[in-house]
Amino acid sequence: MTLGTLPRRLAVFLLESAISIAPSDAADWGQAMMGELTQFESDWSALLWSFGGAGVLAKHAIVAIVFPRRNRPVPSGGSLFSKAGLMRKTALYATVSCMLASLLFFLVPVFREAFHVSLAQWHDVLHVSPVGNLRSDPGLESLGRKAEQNQDAEALAFVAVRTLNKSESARLADDAVRLDPTLTWVYGVVAVDWSSFPALDRWAPALERFDPQNALPHLIAAERIDIDYEERGLVPHSVDEEPAAWKDAMAAAFRSPKLDTYSKQLDELTRRVALRYKINDPFHFVLDYRWHAVPTFAATDSARYAESLFAAAEAREARGDYKSAFENYSTVVRFAEIMRENGSYPMARRLHEAFLRLGSLSEKEGNHQQAQLYAFLAGTADWEWNERMAFLRTSPEVVSRWSAFLARVCGIALLLSGTAFLVCVTSLVVRRRSLRLAALQPKGMTLAFGLASTVTALLSSAMLYVSYRPYAEVVQRFIRTGDESQLPAVSEFLAYAQIPLGTGRNLGWGLSAQEVTFYFWLAVAGLCVLTLLLAVWRFWRRPRGNATT
Amino acid sequence: MPSIGHYFAEIDDLTPNLYICRLTLMKTPRLSPQTLLVLERFLERPRAWRYGYDLSRETGLKSGTLYPILMRLAKYDFLETKWVATEDGVPPRHTYRLTPRGIELARVEQPISRVAARVRRVAFSGGKA
Repeated sequence: MTLGTLPRRLAVFLLESAISIAPSDAADWGQAMMGELTQFESDWSALLWSFGGAGVLAKHAIVAIVFPRRNRPVPSGGSLFSKAGLMRKTALYATVSCMLASLLFFLVPVFREAFHVSLAQWHDVLHVSPVGNLRSDPGLESLGRKAEQNQDAEALAFVAVRTLNKSESARLADDAVRLDPTLTWVYGVVAVDWSSFPALDRWAPALERFDPQNALPHLIAAERIDIDYEERGLVPHSVDEEPAAWKDAMAAAFRSPKLDTYSKQLDELTRRVALRYKINDPFHFVLDYRWHAVPTFAATDSARYAESLFAAAEAREARGDYKSAFENYSTVVRFAEIMRENGSYPMARRLHEAFLRLGSLSEKEGNHQQAQLYAFLAGTADWEWNERMAFLRTSPEVVSRWSAFLARVCGIALLLSGTAFLVCVTSLVVRRRSLRLAALQPKGMTLAFGLASTVTALLSSAMLYVSYRPYAEVVQRFIRTGDESQLPAVSEFLAYAQIPLGTGRNLGWGLSAQEVTFYFWLAVAGLCVLTLLLAVWRFWRRPRGNATT
Repeated sequence: MPSIGHYFAEIDDLTPNLYICRLTLMKTPRLSPQTLLVLERFLERPRAWRYGYDLSRETGLKSGTLYPILMRLAKYDFLETKWVATEDGVPPRHTYRLTPRGIELARVEQPISRVAARVRRVAFSGGKA
């Protein structure tokens, strides 16, 4: 045998290493495999032989840890004991190392955020609140208190547009504007979020005075009238049945040269407050309900009012008053354009129709060139609408959805593995009645369970960090530079991260959130009953002392 | 050409052996095709001592497959093992041979496995084997 060659040396080394960790009953077999190495003429064949043998021994070593045989002869301090001890010690070190590494992740702020996000799915499961009661946010409440103490108008406005308590939101917005009147635009943001509350009667005029060219206060006023009518059971079936105040508000909105939903001001304020108060909760940076940032009723109100303008224009056309008809159509075009500039598309179909009608009117007036231009613009509006729809249908949310799925899985894995580890440690301490590490000496199964749970915790931590990190960077970039282009992806991610794993929306098992809540509490109740039964059983089976002496 | 019934008749003939085998198998490992292959090699010279390297060459099994089989057979006393000293500086070699119990098992298992294989062959070829 040529032991000098590298493959041979490697083969011997492999088998020797495997023998050193193998349990005693398998170690002899390792020596047997080693003995056969001399028979191989080819170095590489010998190496392959030792690979196979080392694999067998390693498997036995692992099995010996997981299922320590009770009837294994206890050696009298020979090599077997040292080998088993070595394996056990290695496993113990690995367990402690994995647990420490998992805990080290918590020192990284981004990971803490990720962990917080991964727990979001449990909020609605654990906090079962009466229908209609929205959840509170302790972080936001704390910031609100600080802002009030510091009389910080911007921070008050920050909380006002985020808190899910309507009256609190209104109060904070009023306080913010009282401290800094330049923040009057906050009324617009809060009013869009809450639609109807008493302060709106005061806010809409204040906002109109603050920003007289903006259509937003008029849309807010119109919506307020809509809601009041609906609450009283008076649903207008046509624009003619609408009250004069509604018509005035919509007319004013359609006359307005701009529609500003104050997204830019809100973004700037968010960044400033985030920097000032070192806010790192990602949920505070995305306001996913502000999709259009215009009142909910604005789309239908605008469409209905546009239809009424079309009807009026048709009547004027019939009378030959082309100029007035042209003005009506142009009014619709102008308002639809300012809506589109704001990123809202509820008027896209009306814009297309208005251009067609303008083209038809131009044809009647004999202006063919202008008619062609309007036809082209109608086509463009239609194309833009279709593009927008196609974009919405194929929005790139797949990555966000999968990242959120991973985050949720990792969150659950972390909780389960942490619990399993705690159970192992607790059972060990209780059994040994000691907190000294040297006295613990876990059994094979406990050690294997502990090791598996800490390895799971480590892998879950790493995966959670990796899946969340890109979104944390988007938020940080937004705070640093104001780049909001990627925030919709964060919004998608966070929206999915809040859905309990296994429930309805995609990647689930078709259960609703309510069903998951039910099954969760059913499982908790079942476990409690099981624990109680176990305790009773143990009580009856306890050794009883002899009463007679 | 023998019919499929012929093979079942052959199995019926083996019933006493199967009974013995079942008794034996109550405390035996599950016999895989590779184990049967190893047993077949041992059965060629039942009382001869065999080396792991030779068995590996004859059966074509790698060490990672062969040794677990040998270990299981030895664990259930179907195989006896012995260390053979070699020249100085060269590790001793481990040799193996079937115990009487092992020989009995191998003799019972071999025909069963062959018949089972033939039955399978006939069954899957529509009785044309």
